[in-house]
Amino acid sequence: MVSNNATCDGSLLSTDFQIAAKAFAEKWKKFNSDFPEWLWIDCSNRLGFAAHGVSDGYLSVQNVFFKVQSSLKEEHGECSSNDYEEPFDNATLVQSAGDDGHRYDFHIVYSFSYNVPVLYFRAHSCDGQLLNQDEIEKNLPTESAKVLTESKWTFITQQEHPYLNRPWYTLHPCGTSEWMKLLLANENSTAENRVEQYLISWFSVVGQVFGLKLPLDMVKSDG
Amino acid sequence: MASDNPIASRKVVVHLRATGDAPILKQAKFKIAGTDKFSKVIDFLRRQLHKETLFVYVNSAFSPSPDQLVNDLYDNFGIDGKLVVNYACSMAWG
Repeated sequence: MVSNNATCDGSLLSTDFQIAAKAFAEKWKKFNSDFPEWLWIDCSNRLGFAAHGVSDGYLSVQNVFFKVQSSLKEEHGECSSNDYEEPFDNATLVQSAGDDGHRYDFHIVYSFSYNVPVLYFRAHSCDGQLLNQDEIEKNLPTESAKVLTESKWTFITQQEHPYLNRPWYTLHPCGTSEWMKLLLANENSTAENRVEQYLISWFSVVGQVFGLKLPLDMVKSDG
Repeated sequence: MASDNPIASRKVVVHLRATGDAPILKQAKFKIAGTDKFSKVIDFLRRQLHKETLFVYVNSAFSPSPDQLVNDLYDNFGIDGKLVVNYACSMAWG
């Protein structure tokens, strides 16, 4: 089922993507249960693939909450409009009222050009408005913001989502197989292990862009 | 889980191992307080190698978040009394 040299060069076969995705989603659910679940979105019928018995789809997690920095208010669960009087001089406040946090949708999509998974994402404020790149940048940890200024066009860009055909932000996949090769270099692991571990290793790097941590139990291959 | 252990003052031996074309350090092993964050290891490597972009990873399996505690990493991935940390000089997205 899993091919032999699938991941030695840091890439992942398209036929192994779903196996890797299921392993990732299951471990995530087990060890990261206070976080929304990753769900497999099946798109097998999209290009008539179903007829060939090839499954096609992507992983999705919706509504990941990011607290807007320097927000003084506690999370209310839902957005409250600031209709009560506050003893603040509004002229000195940079953040607009009701700016409780941003919500991110992440999709892990397989790239048939690079043979690696690619993270697509979009973000919206609590009133449903989509955030632009400048606003997203403010949510990122300082380390990512720095990378963004250094390599503006090769880190985060906007691209057409291959399944939804709408512009989503994406992390550039060109370098992925290079660093994945290092993460898969463990000689003791079998080909099966490597496929099941692939997205976990991958996300340990990609998640850091957004300050998302993997629980260590999830990373341990015997976990 | 390990919170009742007297590990607060424990020092962890970190073994820095170069991969690819990364230069090897003169002193590859050093001790660090277990309560330090992993970012301290990354910063140390950056200073030693004079490189801003490094790819630092553990156990040939994952890249720890900078705010992960060295103690936690050691408890999960320490082998033979030390934590092996690999580093490579290239880390490119695009």
